Amino acid sequence: MQAWNNILKKIIKTASGRLRLILAIIGLSVALLLILSAVQLQANYNDLLHSKSNQDSIANFLVVNKQLTNANYGNTTLSTTAIDDLKKQPFVDAVGILTPSRFKASIESFSSQFPFYTDISFESVPAAFIDVDSTQWQWQPGNDIVPMIAPNLFLDFYNFQFSLSQNLPQLTQEIVKMIIFKVNIQTPNGVVSLKGKVVGFSDRITSLLVPESFMQWANNNYGTLNNAQPSRVVIRTKDPGNPALVQYLKDHQLTTDADKTRFSKYRQIVNVVVQISGVTGGILLLFALLIFSLFIQLTIASCKEEIQLLVTLGAAPKQLRKFLMRRFFPPNVLIIIGTLIIVAIIQYLVALRLQKLYMFINPTLSIYTFATALLFLLILWLVNYTTIQRYIQKENL
Amino acid sequence: MQLQIQQVVPIPLKPNLLNRQSDIWLKGITFLPGTRVKIKAASGTGKTTFIHFLYHLRNDYEGNIFWGDTDLQNFTPALLAQHRQQKISIVFQDLRLFPNLTAWENIELKRVMQQPLYPESTIKEMAEQLGITKILYQRAGICSYGEQQRIAIIRALMQPFEWLLMDEPFSHLDQENTRKAAALITEECNKRNAGFILTDLDDDNYFTYHQNLVL
Repeated sequence: MQAWNNILKKIIKTASGRLRLILAIIGLSVALLLILSAVQLQANYNDLLHSKSNQDSIANFLVVNKQLTNANYGNTTLSTTAIDDLKKQPFVDAVGILTPSRFKASIESFSSQFPFYTDISFESVPAAFIDVDSTQWQWQPGNDIVPMIAPNLFLDFYNFQFSLSQNLPQLTQEIVKMIIFKVNIQTPNGVVSLKGKVVGFSDRITSLLVPESFMQWANNNYGTLNNAQPSRVVIRTKDPGNPALVQYLKDHQLTTDADKTRFSKYRQIVNVVVQISGVTGGILLLFALLIFSLFIQLTIASCKEEIQLLVTLGAAPKQLRKFLMRRFFPPNVLIIIGTLIIVAIIQYLVALRLQKLYMFINPTLSIYTFATALLFLLILWLVNYTTIQRYIQKENL
Repeated sequence: MQLQIQQVVPIPLKPNLLNRQSDIWLKGITFLPGTRVKIKAASGTGKTTFIHFLYHLRNDYEGNIFWGDTDLQNFTPALLAQHRQQKISIVFQDLRLFPNLTAWENIELKRVMQQPLYPESTIKEMAEQLGITKILYQRAGICSYGEQQRIAIIRALMQPFEWLLMDEPFSHLDQENTRKAAALITEECNKRNAGFILTDLDDDNYFTYHQNLVL
């Protein structure tokens, strides 16, 4: 077997040009390198868009309400159909209804040293939409203190503007959390007083939040306004920069925090660029296949006479196929492994570089790149096998 | 394995051959195993064509050729390869050596194509018998035609066979070398109880033939 292979190797080697082999290997390597890079690029792009480390947790929650115009003045509630439609959109993961309080309320301090009083309204939202992790965030009828979540915006407004103009002390989050204040609810039968306390601060929703259980209880008992339709909802989305989301909001005259969605324009541009790279990758793929099938055909064609003579002398098709596959296929495996290594090195260097720019991509190759390499191995095997099979059959009568 | 030839005629030569006397074309003949056959043929009467038909290098003929019970037209590529490795061997008129391989490699190729019949040393023994030891490691392409003819003969003898086909195998050998080659071939055919078919232009007495036919 060894002697047979050695002689065959000599026959085929002397027949096929070395230069041609080198050129074909270079051609295939370059094409494979470009395709694998394109796949890896796509994977990196997805990584940058969707990986946790690149995302800001507040950016995933958008408070959506109708755009207030002269036409819908006084009628900004969201209908059930509109909310259901929003829930059905692929870019919306969840919708939480912001329930407003339907009673008049005010808060004031117990302390005469630090007096304050303000009229206020509350909102509540399902617990899943809240980013404050506190054991105190619960309320049942009969509970003494109503927990509240205040927007950071309120505290900033107070500390850096209001307190300065009124000559009042500045307050840290910790101090605010310690203050217990009086909550007055106006009812038809007079004022009901409760105690309130801020248990956390949030950037997500810019209103004073109370637990849903409290809101339900208070609305049922003291609500004087009958309108139960919400006018604001909070949505959770994987990607606030998604152009489809921005387009949807625009089409339905809805509005949200513009800051969070501003990237959608850039995203559209990047999408186009990636699509172009995808098309380029596809064309390269075709070229790579062409290059390699041509290489095999050329090599076999260049030793066609030798193969023909081998068949004449009695070499079995199976013997020849086995030998030719062994001769042509291993370089392909090496090329694929080689290009994978090169792409892996590039990926590692790019990841290091991007890290300095606070962009985080996986420093190792994506599973898709490996899958593509494997797919190529399969395709190359098929091209090898069918080309060899075809040529051997042609040499037989 | 017997060889049966039934009403065979090459299609391109058919018009010329219809009016000619021949022992083979358009006849029914059976060659029993071990028969030594000489076919004498003038140039252009289809000598090489006939050998190529038997070896299935060409199939542009009418009629039937049976190796054993199998019609040659029904041989699959795999079966044909097995047939050429085990049942029939051949010395081509145009020799068909690999010019870039050495003489030794050309012979070795046929030795190891199937389960080897002889050890490597047999190549040297036969080469010595035919006087080509000196050129064994020389590229076949630069050997003289006479040397190449002897390489081709030894190559054909490296494998098992029941029939040996030879197309003017001694055309470029002198009488002494022809005698040595014929002796080796006889010895090898005896070892295998094999028959042979030899074609040539003229009468000869290289071998003791069982049948002398005219194409």
